[in-house]
This record gives sequence, C-alpha cells and structure tokens, in this order.
Amino acid sequence: MAVTTRLTWLHEKILQNHFGGKRLSLLYKGSVHGFRNGVLLDRCCNQGPTLTVIYSEDHIIGAYAEESYQEGKYASIILFALQDTKISEWKLGLCTPETLFCCDVTKYNSPTNFQIDGRNRKVIMDLKTMENLGLAQNCTISIQDYEVFRCEDSLDERKIKGVIELRKSLLSALRTYEPYGSLVQQIRILLLGPIGAGKSSFFNSVRSVFQGHVTHQALVGTNTTGISEKYRTYSIRDGKDGKYLPFILCDSLGLSEKEGGLCRDDIFYILNGNIRDRYQFNPMESIKLNHHDYIDSPSLKDRIHCVAFVFDASSIQYFSSQMIVKIKRIRRELVNAGVVHVALLTHVDSMDLITKGDLIEIERCEPVRSKLEEVQRKLGFALSDISVVSNYSSEWELDPVKDVLILSALRRMLWAADDFLEDLPFEQIGNLREEIINCAQGKK
Amino acid sequence: MEVTTRLTWNDENHLRKLLGNVSLSLLYKSSVHGGSIEDMVERCSRQGCTITMAYIDYNMIVAFMLGNYINLHESSTEPNDSLWFSLQKKNDTTEIETLLLNTAPKIIDEQLVCRLSKTDIFIICRDNKIYLDKMITRNLKLRFYGHRQYLECEVFRVEGIKDNLDDIKRIIKAREHRNRLLADIRDYRPYADLVSEIRILLVGPVGSGKSSFFNSVKSIFHGHVTGQAVVGSDITSITERYRIYSVKDGKNGKSLPFMLCDTMGLDGAEGAGLCMDDIPHILKGCMPDRYQFNSRKPITPEHSTFITSPSLKDRIHCVAYVLDINSIDNLYSKMLAKVKQVHKEVLNCGIAYVALLTKVDDCSEVLQDNFLNMSRSMTSQSRVMNVHKMLGIPISNILMVGNYASDLELDPMKDILILSALRQMLRAADDFLEDLPLEETGAIERALQPCI
Repeated sequence: MAVTTRLTWLHEKILQNHFGGKRLSLLYKGSVHGFRNGVLLDRCCNQGPTLTVIYSEDHIIGAYAEESYQEGKYASIILFALQDTKISEWKLGLCTPETLFCCDVTKYNSPTNFQIDGRNRKVIMDLKTMENLGLAQNCTISIQDYEVFRCEDSLDERKIKGVIELRKSLLSALRTYEPYGSLVQQIRILLLGPIGAGKSSFFNSVRSVFQGHVTHQALVGTNTTGISEKYRTYSIRDGKDGKYLPFILCDSLGLSEKEGGLCRDDIFYILNGNIRDRYQFNPMESIKLNHHDYIDSPSLKDRIHCVAFVFDASSIQYFSSQMIVKIKRIRRELVNAGVVHVALLTHVDSMDLITKGDLIEIERCEPVRSKLEEVQRKLGFALSDISVVSNYSSEWELDPVKDVLILSALRRMLWAADDFLEDLPFEQIGNLREEIINCAQGKK
Repeated sequence: MEVTTRLTWNDENHLRKLLGNVSLSLLYKSSVHGGSIEDMVERCSRQGCTITMAYIDYNMIVAFMLGNYINLHESSTEPNDSLWFSLQKKNDTTEIETLLLNTAPKIIDEQLVCRLSKTDIFIICRDNKIYLDKMITRNLKLRFYGHRQYLECEVFRVEGIKDNLDDIKRIIKAREHRNRLLADIRDYRPYADLVSEIRILLVGPVGSGKSSFFNSVKSIFHGHVTGQAVVGSDITSITERYRIYSVKDGKNGKSLPFMLCDTMGLDGAEGAGLCMDDIPHILKGCMPDRYQFNSRKPITPEHSTFITSPSLKDRIHCVAYVLDINSIDNLYSKMLAKVKQVHKEVLNCGIAYVALLTKVDDCSEVLQDNFLNMSRSMTSQSRVMNVHKMLGIPISNILMVGNYASDLELDPMKDILILSALRQMLRAADDFLEDLPLEETGAIERALQPCI
C-alpha cells in the first residue's frame, strides 16, 4: 500500500505557505495506520512542529502544533479550515496532545473547544470554534481520514548550505569554462525576446552574481516601449577588477508584434557579427552597409554563438498570434543559419503561490511545469532547452538560491554554444586556424 | 525543536536521482526518538517503502531499502528484496555503491538482524553499534567490517515508488546495462577496419524523429541533454540540409566510430520533401555535408561540392528507416510508396537496413527484464508486424526508442533503447561490410598498400 497524502498540490501549497513555508512530511495516515489515537501519538510525538489534517465529506480542517507533541505537555495549537483556496485560522491555545486526540479518559467528558475522536471518527467542536473557523452552524464533522505531517522549513540551514556549495561549483565551472576546441575566447550570447521580458535584467543579474552584489549596468525600465534601443555587447569581469569571463551577453531591441520592435534584417546582421557595440537601432530600417557601426568582415569571434529567447513567465499566456508567428519565424531563420538557441523564463517567482523555498526545486512545481509545457506547445522549444530564473530587481544583496538558477541557465547556454561550435563547417574552422597562424607569425 | 535529517542536501539529491526522482520523508531519528529497535519499528512499520540509514562517520553512510518495514507482531522470516547502498565522501564528491540482496530482516534480542542464507550480514545492535559482514563490506567498498559505533540512525519513507522493489531493481540493473552498452560502442571497430567510421543514414517521414534521435545519441555521450540538430514543431520539415554528424565521446573527446546522416523528411505529396532521385547519390556517398536539398530537383554531378569518386568510407553503410510508432497504422499510401521506393534503392545497393520506431511512450516495456532482447509483447504487436510486412525487415532489426525532446534529464532506460538500437545498426553494417564483393575490399587493400 502506498502511504501518500490526499492533499492536492494546490492545497498542500496553501497550507505550506500559510504556516510559514513548511515542507510537509507525512508521518501518520488514519486509513493506513488505523484510527487509533494512541498509536497516532506514539508515532507523532517528538517530531517537531506538526500539522494534523482532517478530511470530512465537505471540509478540510486541522490543527497546527508549534512545538513537539510530548506526553502530558502543553503545546500551542492553531486550528484551521481550508475551503477551496481560502484558509481561516483560530488560535485554540494551549492543549495537551492527550486532550486534543481524546486519549485522556478522565477528561473525556470535560468541556473543551476542539477534540479529534479517532475511535468514533468525529471531530468535537463547540459553536464558538465553528464560528471562528467560518464553518456553518450545527454541521457535524465526521472523519473520513486524517493525516499528521511533520513540518520542516522549506529552506532550512541544511538546504541553504547545499545551495551555497552548488553555487560555488557552478561559479567555478563558469570561470574555468573553455569554448569547444578553443575556437573563440568568448562565447557571444544574444538575448532576444519581447519588450519587457527581462533581457537587460538578466544581464544585470548575471553581472551581479560575479560582482558579489546587485548591480545595474544595463538600464532597466518599466515603460511599454522598452529602454534598450542600442545594441550592447557586455563583457563581464570576474569581480570588481577581475579578468573578463569567457562569455559576452548581447542585448538588443525588444521584439514587438507591431512596428516598434527589432527590425527583422537586423537580426541577421547581429547573428553574423556585423553590428558594432552601441549601434542605435532604427525600428523602421536595418543598418546600412556604409554605417560606421557596420563591420563588413566579421570573424567567428564576432558572431553570435547562442541565442537565448527571454520570456516573462507570466506573459506567455497573453502572447498574440502575431508575436507567436514572429518568434517562430525567427527560430526558423536561426535554424537555417545553424545557430543554436534556448529559452529563458524570467520572473518565475511572481507566479501564484511560488515562494523562495520553491526556487530550489523549481522544476518540480506544478505551475512552473505547466508553464514550461506551454512554451513547448506554443513556441516549439524542447523542455530540455528551457531554463527558469528569477532576476534581481529590488534587492541589494545576493541570494544563493537565485544565483544557482541564473548560473544554471548560463551554463545551459554555454553547452548549447559548444554544440554550435562543434557543428561548424570545416572551412570556417580552417580559416580561423589560418588567422591564428597569421597572428602568431605577425608577432614574430 | 525541529526534527531534521543530518543527510546533506547534496547527498539527498544524489539518492533521489539514483532511485528515480523520489521524495524522502524522515520518520525516525535515533537521537530524538530513542535508540531501541522497538522505538524504531513503532514509527516505521506500515509506511510502505523505507530506507534505513546508518551514519558511520562524517564521510560514510550505510543504508538499506525495504519494500515494507518489519513489524514487531509479525514473525516473518521470508527473504525479501532489499537494496543496499553506501555513500562515501571522497575529495568533494560522493561515491555511491549499490547491492541488490534477498534478505530476511527480523528482530532478535532487541537487535535488528538481516540474514542472508543463514548468515547474519548486518545487525543494528544496542548502544549505537552496527555489525557488517565481510561480504557487505566488499560489495559496498567500505573500509571496515565487524562491529562499529555509528553516529546516528535515521529511517525515511520513500515516496514515488512501489512497495516491492521491482522498479528500483530495474533501475539499478538498467544503469549497469547502460554502462556496458556504452563501453561496447566506444570499443566498437568496423569489420576488418575497412572504414574508421560507420555511416548510418536516417531517413523517414517529416516529424518522425530523425534529428531527435541524433540529439538523443549525442546527449548520452555528453552526459546531459543537448540539441545540436535543431528540432521543431512546425508543420513542414525543419531539416532542409544534408548533415553528416560525427559524435564526440564527451566534450573534447575523440570521435566515436559512427556518423549519423540526417536528411530532409519524406513527404507523401509529389514535389515535396526529400527528392527521390537524391537517394542513390546519398547512398553512394556523393552527397556533400550541408547540401541544401531541393524537393523538385536532385543534386547533379555538376554541383560544386558533389563527390564524384566516393570511396567506401563515404558510402552509407546502414540505413535506418525512422518512423513514429504512433503513425505507422495511419501511413498514407503515398508515403508508404515513397518509403518503399527508398527501400528498393537500398536493396539495389546491398546496404544494410533497420527500422527505428520512435516516440515510444513506455520505454520500460520494450525489453525483457535482462535487457538482452526485445520483449515478446512488443515484437508481436501489430505495429511491429506491419513494418515487418510492409518493408520485409527482420523483426530483430525493428528497433524502438523514446527520445529526449520532452525530458530534462538522462534516463537509463531510454539510454538502453537508444544504445541497443545503435549497436544493432553497427552489427547490421558489419554484415554489409563482410558481404562486400571482393573487388571492393580488394580496392581498399590496394589503396592501403602504398601507405605502408
């Protein structure tokens, strides 16, 4: 028999968030272990804070104990009732576990506000408590099942330590990363996406991670036309005066379904490496070949090696059909040009019910999972090509949980760029080697 | 006070992946709930699948996994499947060893005793002591045997798994088999070293998963899901160029002894999809890498990069017909006619061929329990029989795979199908090479002589 909770993901999440971001570990289940409260207490004493959830025909109610149940010892009890997605609570006050679970025979008939009678499969509650929990008067609560959970912090010291270690190893991997075959010194990653998706914000977040505190080199705005109107290629230092990291993030004008966004021909020139840093985009026409920011013979190092489409997680459902067509058309052109691309979902922490504790195992959250599947369905990205991040916006100091998401996304882009470099036609690699030889000879 | 495990988050994640992405819930902790076996059993019986973990020191954990915990009131001495493993920290990495046993755990004299054919191999004693038999020590690569003090004992419920350990046993065995297949393919050498790399042609309808198969193969050898050949969900084929993909054994590794050749998809309509007259050129090895296909016009010898005198190494040595397993019963007659047309050319050239059925939903049902052969239920199902009849392909060369387009992490069961399919292709290619007319192999030998 499987010992699993009856709670849906949504109800479990509501309870978790309500009682302070707890992870719930099932300890006892009436329909499996029996409705004998003595046995229940044997299993559930000395387990730290616990949550007891009672399922009746129409209601989910329960009790949260802030301290361990211990024989004869008073614990502070908070009652709750969960109806649809709303939770109401009522502080019961101090109570011994024997009283709460009707194990104290001598006090069985004493007046009490709330008791869980396992043997008779019912909850004993007075009118005042019913009223305070928002339950209808005179309703009887018969117990179909009850479950007792241990409550642990979602982000406890142990996990934070693990996240910090993971962050450290990711940082090290990115600092020491070498592009495939050392064909270039720095991977160029183009950030492409609708206006307001968080492209510049992602760059700032990456830079913040390596600086050690939150920075704002690329201006980020909230106006609807978008602030990024220049083409920017950002090299990032490892620390304040450190050496440059082996990747460059390229930021461009946002995409728009109307006329205001990035010009389609400009995308080709960006990919090819023809556009110089700080070129001022014109949404109406692409760069002219005689423009002083036009590079007419770009080499491999000037090219874009990976494209990252950046989407706001909460905006995808509102994409117009024109935007979807536009993104798909760009993807097709990337395919023809042989450029690999990945997707990046930002603002994941603004999604409903998502808390910081969820960011550690973000792909296990059902709302995030269904968002990934939406990107796959609408835009055609493989699940393995979609990363999820939470950019820095209002913070001053770094958070290792966010850092891990940002660094993992970056690593995925570098892996994709390696695929691109590995797939280059031999003549391009040969040309590059000739360039290297010429440089070496020139230096002698 | 809160009751928390002393297992590090890193090690917890290692365990979860090892066991197939499960969840662990702490049920018992000896330093909190009392050190006696009765205290342990009281909290841990009838919880489904459990792991009992003994922390020997700060770098060593010994653990065993039971489908159901022992119960004080049952005197069962029947042996049951259990999975034993050790986690040992060495130089910032955690090494995990596993061992599948059929043991009979029970309680004797207030001790938890695990017995294997009349020998006590593991005992949790009083006073935080543990006993390990030499056999366990050797198999789990531990550094001690006999009696030893431990720091802590914890028991977890494992969620996302069945009570019997069939799934776990399968995962453990799958991982072992996968690694053997990997080694076989890395060590593979083409028949008589006639060529250094086998060329495998992937040909099939639009959207059947040709490029995805290449991506899946590459993902296995790179150790993470990759996407070099771009796949998409557009209605028309994304692959429009001929691609000859070499696969590296890991990043910066050496090339593996095979290449996968990817083509434009077949389309039932006339003048769409791969041009039928391109097929002979591809098979003979005249088609250059990255040639842009034209649905209406085949490549000609006048094309600037046409390979006019291909040698054996340029030829296709094995053809894989890639078909979506869910679409076989609905193949339009025009599409089937095109596949047969390709097949006719393949037969004329005498090239080895297999069928590759993609997008299999349940990879664990394709193979027998020992992974050596396809299961009867798969080989006898109507879709396989259809392919067998339609194209005359031997059933043993009708291969089935899932792919990684919808996955986030590598899965040993999928890997086994992919690697087994690849191995069958290489075996088929060997048959082709062995069957070559003497004048062709003789030509190779003559070409080799001037080099000596």
